[in-house]
Amino acid sequence: MIFIEKKIFLFLLIFFLLFLPPLGQSLGMYYTLHISALIGIYLLLILGLNLILGFVGLLDLGFIAFYACGAYLSALLSIRGWNFCLVLPATIILTVLLRLLLGLPALRLRGDYLAIVTLGFGEIMRLVLNNWDGLTNGPKGLPRVGEAISSPKFFFLTFQSDLSFYYLILFFVILGIIVSRRLDNSRIGRAWIAIREDELAAETCGINVDKVKLFAFCFSAIYAATAGVLYTHWIKFISPESFTFWESVLLVSMVVLGGMGSIPGVILATILVIGVPEFLRGLLGTQLVNYRMLFFGLGLVLMVIFRPQGIVPSKRRELELHPSNE
Amino acid sequence: MFFQQLLNGVTLGSIYALIALGYTMVYGILLMINFAHSEIFMSGAFFGYFFYQLFSRISFFQEKIFFFIFFLFLCSMFSTALLGIFIEQVAYKPLRRAPRLAPLISAIGVSIFIQNFFMLFVSNQSVAYPQIFPLKKYNFSLLEINSLQIFIIFLSISLMLVLRFFIQYTKLGKATRAVSQDRETASLMGINVNRIISLTFFIGAGLGGAAGILNGMYYGSIKYNMGFLPGIKAFTAAVLGGIGNISGAMFGGYILGICEAFTAGFIPGGAEWKDVFAFAILILVLLLKPSGLLGTQLKKV
Amino acid sequence: MRKFAFLLSFVLSLSTINYLLSTAFLGCAPKKEAKKIVRIALAAPITGDLTAMGQGMKKSAEMAIEEANKSDEFEGIKLELVPFDDRFDPKEAVNVANQIVSDTKIVGVVGHLNSGCSIPASRVYAQHNLVMISPASTNPKLTLQQLEPSWQWVRNVFRVCTTDDVQGSFGADFAWGKLKLKKFAVIHDKTPYGQGLAEEFAKQFKKIGGTVSSFDGIIVGEKDFKALLTRIKADKPDGIYFGGVYNECGLIIRQAKELGLNVPLISGDACFSPELIKIGGPATGNNYITMVGASPERLPQAKEFLEKYKTKYPKVDSQPYDHYTYEATKIILQAIKMGSLEKKEIIETVRKIKYNGVLGETAFDEKGDTLNKVISVYKIKEGKFIPLN
Repeated sequence: MIFIEKKIFLFLLIFFLLFLPPLGQSLGMYYTLHISALIGIYLLLILGLNLILGFVGLLDLGFIAFYACGAYLSALLSIRGWNFCLVLPATIILTVLLRLLLGLPALRLRGDYLAIVTLGFGEIMRLVLNNWDGLTNGPKGLPRVGEAISSPKFFFLTFQSDLSFYYLILFFVILGIIVSRRLDNSRIGRAWIAIREDELAAETCGINVDKVKLFAFCFSAIYAATAGVLYTHWIKFISPESFTFWESVLLVSMVVLGGMGSIPGVILATILVIGVPEFLRGLLGTQLVNYRMLFFGLGLVLMVIFRPQGIVPSKRRELELHPSNE
Repeated sequence: MFFQQLLNGVTLGSIYALIALGYTMVYGILLMINFAHSEIFMSGAFFGYFFYQLFSRISFFQEKIFFFIFFLFLCSMFSTALLGIFIEQVAYKPLRRAPRLAPLISAIGVSIFIQNFFMLFVSNQSVAYPQIFPLKKYNFSLLEINSLQIFIIFLSISLMLVLRFFIQYTKLGKATRAVSQDRETASLMGINVNRIISLTFFIGAGLGGAAGILNGMYYGSIKYNMGFLPGIKAFTAAVLGGIGNISGAMFGGYILGICEAFTAGFIPGGAEWKDVFAFAILILVLLLKPSGLLGTQLKKV
Repeated sequence: MRKFAFLLSFVLSLSTINYLLSTAFLGCAPKKEAKKIVRIALAAPITGDLTAMGQGMKKSAEMAIEEANKSDEFEGIKLELVPFDDRFDPKEAVNVANQIVSDTKIVGVVGHLNSGCSIPASRVYAQHNLVMISPASTNPKLTLQQLEPSWQWVRNVFRVCTTDDVQGSFGADFAWGKLKLKKFAVIHDKTPYGQGLAEEFAKQFKKIGGTVSSFDGIIVGEKDFKALLTRIKADKPDGIYFGGVYNECGLIIRQAKELGLNVPLISGDACFSPELIKIGGPATGNNYITMVGASPERLPQAKEFLEKYKTKYPKVDSQPYDHYTYEATKIILQAIKMGSLEKKEIIETVRKIKYNGVLGETAFDEKGDTLNKVISVYKIKEGKFIPLN
């Protein structure tokens, strides 16, 4: 294990991601593809949340609201016959605008107050989706009877089959990871970390704190919206049940479990949290499967107690001062 | 009808306020959102049910309804409080020095665990709650009130007054306030911080337990997943009143209860939108007066 | 990075082992028996907020399979039920559906409970020619989607429950014609089932000349409806119609009585459970529940089912969708008995089937909806459901 070089490892990972689902498909294990795709969609969400929670250190308990927004907007546009090439940017722009509207007043708040405002916003979003029957068809979900969400089409490429769609998701995930890494190592990424460590000190160093925070806040919405668009086109039917408060909580716990601000960490945590329940399903058999969530809860507690800094703690973060560690 | 709706709101608000106290006290001391508090509330209701089953077999209690209710509340609140301390010792105490979000995740884990534990090993169906309190109706010209509503409002207000007195005037209460202001300095003054934190969980969980029993008595049935919604509402109430502030939590609870009753009770179709109103008010209050309605400016976290 | 590499390979190997194990478990059935193993999957919320209903579905499906195994009607076949937990969550439902189609021994699916899960999952089953009979999803879209051009697969979706329009309008006719009530307050729980039922009720009730004094949604999981009921009381309705599940229904009945709103309440089949009486207490008397299928008094099969259920699970209250699940499982079994073990054949057999069971005679129209539109009414009296017609 020690001799594995970084490049070989990356190569192996890509190989695995590229060929595991088709392999499962050919062996008749169709769920490998679906779980891989779901992990991919969640990875996008997690990378987005990691941006704001991990890099800037702002707790967002309503991140799922923007995922829901992306999913519903893209469904509404796709039903009206828009091409995927237009649906994706339009959804992203609208979601980011919404995020901006929330962020402008909310980012003035500090610490946990921001968390509470986002929590409230998340709940409002879900309730509005459930109650605004005229637009969202309420609890009955979209698309309505007689409508359909078409498969994504890029000029001459059509992502009709599940497998090709999986590669589309994979493409966005890899793009997301690259962008995330770039941001982390950029000037603005360093500004985020400065803000996380000490906002006041950052400001005196000439960082425009409000602007930089707002940028992170809105940028994370791009991830959420993309994940939402992909989810809608993958499942092809959405209803408000998918966007509960618990989803937001799950996302936050994935980021903390993985190690805040650590990209490999959050990727691992996502694979674990989305994959492990499925893993337990196979292992526990039909009788014990009811105990799955019990074990999951226990696992979360044990994990945090024995490794509170996350599975793969971010190197940079480990060197920081923590107010609670004084 | 106005007064009737006000009564509906106040009864609901009393229960919210009791739960909100648990959130606010823990937040005041540990700066942590105790997600497991909603499950403590739920287990309180179940403890009440178990003690009812136990006490109804003891002949001493058959006649004396006052003692019956008194001991029922005392025992169940005490057991719930012990559960609260147990959770604190197992899941939060090892995390005192961990990054700030770690206890939050631990709390989520505990919450999932307790809920599933009750579902798997106690009951996955609704449990009918016994009619402990003799129900009588009183009719005034403006409103109709029953004995149970009076009991709920009376009990929750007196519990809150006792708590207020305790925090304000006793030595332990002073110590609690000192810890919530500055943990380090308090420990330098010879206060056993760990014990104070345990005490906070003890009191908060006890009050949550009382709210659980009242909820069971009022609505007549309990279920393993009953905690989630009141939990999140009570948390909202705590923030509304100014989190970390004890009178604020009570105030917030009543405001939220009355606001809910009025939206559902006066606006046609309002019942499905009342939570939207509640959260919208929460956001507006936080944006305009971030420390909550009664709060003082919180120091930067 | 090395640590990360190590951990990731750990996870990946774990998941590989999982794949291997699960296929091993599913693949190597006991070899001693010469009998051919045929599996039926049950997809329901076995954990989560609706666990009681899901567990009820599991119990009744198990009962059907056990009976079939005991009888000697299935020669050379050993039937097995494989329960899958969708946790009431659409993405979990699609997960489960993919697991189900991966098991080649599964020939049919009974499930899911809510339409939000059934609709996305049904596409997965369709791609693999697997028959799906939903015992409880009432969203019209579930079967209608099969007629849309985007549905390129076989029409595999059936349901033994009716859509909302049948039951809702029956409730309206019953309230107007039999009970002679003129003014109704309608409440629903903002789920596809409850809202659909309430909308159909209100539509029909207005059509035949009644007044709907108010139309309100509530939030599932909420416990306090006093404010809403106080407002409804001021309108002085003759009755309340509720579209939703027994939890909220019981609470509404109880709180209405506490407020002195002594009018009958009518609700649909999701309230047909002793749990309603447990939650509502003595206040549940003189209320009405509509239910698909003829009453058990007239149907010997239904009576037999109830008795068997009581003897097998004496401590558990029956759940609203037990009958439907039992019936759905029986229909798939019937199709297997008629000689088809090929997945596609089963779909065609089910389409043509005429089955006499606990719900009366069930047959399916071209969409897959049941043609059995008999609805019976139960009056609650002293904690029991008394059939009226």
